[in-house]
Amino acid sequence: VAKTSLTSPPWPEVKLPDPVEEAKFHAEVVQKVNKMIAAGQYGRLFAVVHFASKQWKITSEDLIMMDNVLEAECGDRIRLEKVLLVGADDFTLIGRPLLGKDLVRVEATVIEKTESWPKINMRFWKRHKYQKKKIIVHPQTVLRINTIDIFPCLS
Amino acid sequence: RYVRQLQRLQLLFSPTAADARGARQFVEEAALDFARRHPDVVLYISPCSGPAPLLRAEYLNGTVREELIASKTSEEIVQLATKLAGQSGLDIIRIRKPFHTDNPSIQGQWHPLTNKPSALTVQGPRLQPQ
Repeated sequence: VAKTSLTSPPWPEVKLPDPVEEAKFHAEVVQKVNKMIAAGQYGRLFAVVHFASKQWKITSEDLIMMDNVLEAECGDRIRLEKVLLVGADDFTLIGRPLLGKDLVRVEATVIEKTESWPKINMRFWKRHKYQKKKIIVHPQTVLRINTIDIFPCLS
Repeated sequence: RYVRQLQRLQLLFSPTAADARGARQFVEEAALDFARRHPDVVLYISPCSGPAPLLRAEYLNGTVREELIASKTSEEIVQLATKLAGQSGLDIIRIRKPFHTDNPSIQGQWHPLTNKPSALTVQGPRLQPQ
């Protein structure tokens, strides 16, 4: 059959490697990463954590503020679950969508429980003599991320 | 490793004023419980013939916050005191970012030239030897 401009798709054809070879390669990479973690060759770790309906990219010793009230007192140590991603300088561990609890451990402390600055909620319609003013103050909590730990139990 | 940011709480009220009734009840009943629950906060109670009963909070960075407690019940004063005990001395203004990091990038900050092949390895019409 003659080859026209529409016989083959316009993107370059990609040949996938052998599944057996690929499985071997994957196992090798996993073992390497496990050894690296066990030897402690990573520097700073960062993690993506889902908390208070938001996703935060956190490292150790950084501050995070929520617009809600946590049930923990000031000075309590909290463990954050729902870790989506953990990464270091050379490797990253991506979860689908979450990583296991025996792999990562993120600890944080509740530093402060304050209120926000007084926000003004005003409604006004002109020529209708309608105006309402309300000052909203909602509570906030400040967390400091203490540590992010990973353990070499990949598979 | 947690240090409470509240240094001292000074309760100024006059024993005869009518609007300091809640403050007097708080001092009689709840002040001891509050002091026991927050052992690292110093609570000073000083009756003085000032104009209005005040609850003054001093923080570790020097800011002083004064709140009126006139005509408030002792439970409200307890809630106020716990709220002040949980705060830090920073000004309550609009904060632009809800997070703060000292090391924002670990794997190197992205710039438009990351993940692009360099010009030396790309085969172009000019780089081929003729």
